[in-house]
Amino acid sequence: MIDVWWLLILKVVGIFAFLVLVTLFTIWFERRVVGRMQHRPGPNRVGPFGLLQSLADGLKLAFKEDILPRGVDRWVFVLAPVISTTAAFTGFAVIPFGPEVSIFGEQTSLQLAEVPVGVLVVLAASAMGVYGVVLAGWSSGSTYPLLGGMRSAAQMISYEIGMGLSIVAVFMAASTLSTREIVAAQADGTPYQLLGMDVQLPSWYVLLLFPSFLIFMISIVGETNRAPFDLAEAESELVGGFHTEYSSLKFALFFLAEYVAMVVMSGLAVTMFLGGWHAPWPLSLWGEANTGWWPFLWFTLKVMGFLFMFVWLRGTLPRLRYDQFMHLGWKVLVPASLVWIIAISGIRSAARDEGDRALWLTVLGLVFIAALLGYLWPRRRPVPPATADSGAGGFPVPPLDLVVPPNPRAKRLAATRAGTGPASGSGEGADDEKEV
Amino acid sequence: MSLSPYLPIVGLFALAFAFALFSVAIAPLIGPRRYNKAKLEAYECGIEPTPQPVGGGRFPIKFYLTAMLFIVFDIEIIFLYPWAVAYDALGLFGFVEMVLFIGAVFIAYAYVWKRGGLDWD
Amino acid sequence: MAAEVLARSLAEPAVLAADVKLPDIDYLAIAPMLVLFGAACVGVLAAAFVPQRLRYRVQVSLVIGALLVALGLIVTVARAGRAVATAGGAIAIDGPALFLQGSVAVLGVVAVLLIAERSLERGGAFVSRASLTPGSAADRDQAEQPGATEVYPLVSFALAGMMLFVSANDLLTLFVALEVFSLPLYLLCGLARRRRLLSQESAVKYFLLGAFSSAFFLYGVALLYGFAGATGLGALRKAVQAGDGNTTLLFLGLAMLAVGLLFKVAAVPFHVWTPDVYQGAPTPITALMAACTKVAAFGALLRVFTVAFPVGAVDWRPVLVAIAIATMLVGAVLAVTQTDIKRLLAYSSIANAGYVLTGVLALSAAGVAGSLFYLVAYGFVVLAAFGVVTLVRDADGEATHLSRWAGLGRRSPLVAGVFTFLMMAFAGIPLTSGFTSKFAVFSAALGSGQVTLVVVGVLSSAVLAFPYLRVVVLMYLSEPAEDTPTVSLPGTLTAAALAIGVLATALLGVAPAPVLDLAAKAVQFVS
Repeated sequence: MIDVWWLLILKVVGIFAFLVLVTLFTIWFERRVVGRMQHRPGPNRVGPFGLLQSLADGLKLAFKEDILPRGVDRWVFVLAPVISTTAAFTGFAVIPFGPEVSIFGEQTSLQLAEVPVGVLVVLAASAMGVYGVVLAGWSSGSTYPLLGGMRSAAQMISYEIGMGLSIVAVFMAASTLSTREIVAAQADGTPYQLLGMDVQLPSWYVLLLFPSFLIFMISIVGETNRAPFDLAEAESELVGGFHTEYSSLKFALFFLAEYVAMVVMSGLAVTMFLGGWHAPWPLSLWGEANTGWWPFLWFTLKVMGFLFMFVWLRGTLPRLRYDQFMHLGWKVLVPASLVWIIAISGIRSAARDEGDRALWLTVLGLVFIAALLGYLWPRRRPVPPATADSGAGGFPVPPLDLVVPPNPRAKRLAATRAGTGPASGSGEGADDEKEV
Repeated sequence: MSLSPYLPIVGLFALAFAFALFSVAIAPLIGPRRYNKAKLEAYECGIEPTPQPVGGGRFPIKFYLTAMLFIVFDIEIIFLYPWAVAYDALGLFGFVEMVLFIGAVFIAYAYVWKRGGLDWD
Repeated sequence: MAAEVLARSLAEPAVLAADVKLPDIDYLAIAPMLVLFGAACVGVLAAAFVPQRLRYRVQVSLVIGALLVALGLIVTVARAGRAVATAGGAIAIDGPALFLQGSVAVLGVVAVLLIAERSLERGGAFVSRASLTPGSAADRDQAEQPGATEVYPLVSFALAGMMLFVSANDLLTLFVALEVFSLPLYLLCGLARRRRLLSQESAVKYFLLGAFSSAFFLYGVALLYGFAGATGLGALRKAVQAGDGNTTLLFLGLAMLAVGLLFKVAAVPFHVWTPDVYQGAPTPITALMAACTKVAAFGALLRVFTVAFPVGAVDWRPVLVAIAIATMLVGAVLAVTQTDIKRLLAYSSIANAGYVLTGVLALSAAGVAGSLFYLVAYGFVVLAAFGVVTLVRDADGEATHLSRWAGLGRRSPLVAGVFTFLMMAFAGIPLTSGFTSKFAVFSAALGSGQVTLVVVGVLSSAVLAFPYLRVVVLMYLSEPAEDTPTVSLPGTLTAAALAIGVLATALLGVAPAPVLDLAAKAVQFVS
């Protein structure tokens, strides 16, 4: 459905403003929550409860020097943050955040664009974000950004696989790729006869397709480069990762892009698994809950819930090592998704009265893959028994009764001082060389 | 199929692009500019930076492998989506074909796994 | 305006198609390909999971077993007299398809025998890791290690792809098959154990040029789709005969499609990759390419041009006649100047592509039958010839320079005798398969009035006889030099391959009737 032009412009500006405001809020929110988790107050000076802290930080960044280091590829270096930001914003266009409302007398739905392949648009936009990161790292002409960019690109594409596979089950359940119809499909539960009573089966896919939801959640954390998967900017290894060489507003744009991507991914998660803008259960008993502007509130609250989870993860979990991280993505999420897809499609086939054959095929397929996985799964290698040299727990610890050998130079010095002949001195010297 | 439902996406894209472009354009104008030779060097924890050839230095070939695997699986995903959407219309035939397809991709996956293509160390 | 747009967007059909028509699949008809593809997949798993010491045996028996089973299935299907277009019309299993699939399978078995040989060189003709820098320490180390067993699944994929290529009845299926058999060949070219740099160079050249030709092919498919609105060969034929489409699209599309196919058959001017790739690739792989790829590429060429583009509606003959003449002449003349046996055989294979084109251009049942017979006969000769090349070795591996072959007849009369026989078959001396096959295509072409082609063909054959006879003269009439390479004792596998090749060459020369009859019966295309 296409709106009149001024309504379109209003919605575009509105969404843009919403995303920027949520970003400013989230940065403050994150610092406050992480602060509380670490027994400190967090920012509390600028504005009430420190709410304006992010705005102040943003303004300060704008007035910092814009450094263009020597050795950068000028155009790409400047373009990379632009790509990142643009890609992050674009995804939100297809996410529905409310039902039909009336704005200045025009009926319109609270969604910028309803397209038949809505989810693909979000995925495409988030995939475009990889370009920003990898080009930033590549164009910096510096070692850490290059490694950070490559890492980040590998990480984002690896977790894109997990994410892409996890939502196949949703498409299967909803029979559509359109975001609005996926939300609509979660509106009402299926009535089901249980012991003579009418029971409403839960309608949100988070309950129906919980494994998908779990994989999706893990994947979007990896996809957005957030802790504990923030290896692209692992401070202890790569300084700032791909944005080491960036300063001023260019750096701010990367910052903005990261948070907007978080919001978009949370919005996608809400749309795909949490019933979109529909009111949660106790609220939904109230007749007005799913009409007018109220759903926008529910949507925002659900997104906030996801953002809190992002922050919580960051406050709780230590950063993974890179090999553990890739291991999780490729060796756990991908096969788990594939197994889950086969299982759920087999169950659907079997439930559709196509009887035992589908069931048997499912079981066979699962057994085959399970057998392969079982074979591939790395066996836990026994930890070699601790020896005197390799100390406790495999760490090199010097033995307690270590006798420190005398310093050969001291011996030689003593020998020369005592005025003994050079013959014995040279003999000792030869021994020393052998020890070296 | 008309493209007009996609127009608003272009609108948001254009606004975000314009905003970002404006930001990078304005940044050098409103910020200070104080020349300092060391500031313009590539950052490397304070030591003399490693000379980099234009267009980046060397990085492990594993990244290429990851990229190729990504393409394989991305194509698999692209085949899975229309199948999933049309799943109820395809019936048992669709299920069997997709199990075969996933199985075929899984064979390559198992090979790469077993041969250490997925190990980083 | 908004209301209009609204109405239009509401009228749009949903993504989900209401009724999906499922294709019928004749599983018996495509069983040979399925068996080979399945064996290739199992081979990949075997390469990963079977312990190192068993891998070689498992892989070799797997691929040879699969080829024999596929051959049996092809015979079964042919006996049943099936001629169907199956899998939604994407695959046509008819006389030519079955004949060519059978040829690919038989020639494939012989080629695998050569590939699997491990007694001539420690660990076989392949290395395990082709990506190592030639000459580096790691590369020198792997010269002593056993070769990659991934070669066998790759060969299975290539052969299965060739089988699909000759039976594809849809341009997109044709493209998929083209890639399925090309990609493994690119890889295999780079795996030679000796002369690593040449081998890598050949792989890169083959890959780049092959990628270009694939792009041409695909672009041609797109244009033809624009012309006909379909990619099936039968639908294309209808559109071509109706003749009311955009003929610019048709001609451009046909030309680009032809470029893609002629690249694979190595016709002039798309032949430049052939000598370098044939020289650099491991010799058993060269044999595979010269025999099986040629069969597959000509099979597809025959099908596309006879089924989809009937000459009555679009006359492509003059162009192909020019290409055939150029191919025969260039191949023959340049073969004369070669000093390397592998390059000589490469140019000879180019010239032979011209002779097969002569059969194709006869545009008659006899022409199709002649081409089919030619492909089989040539396949056996070329496999045996490359088999002999793998035997003549010195400390650096194969001695391929012609000067090193001087006096070979005095030292190893048996091998020299076999090679002489094969050279005579190449030259088309009577009582060899070379004579009968050339006779078959030239008589078919004469029957269709292609006098120019036949005259050029006979003349170029005469020219081409010179380099062949020069090798023979070198072997027998020159004094053996000090550094004349030794001829290794062929292992069982190579000996078997050589025996099969030589026997087939002799049989097809002396008593060609059964195979000729078979080919004559297998000329009817379905669409």
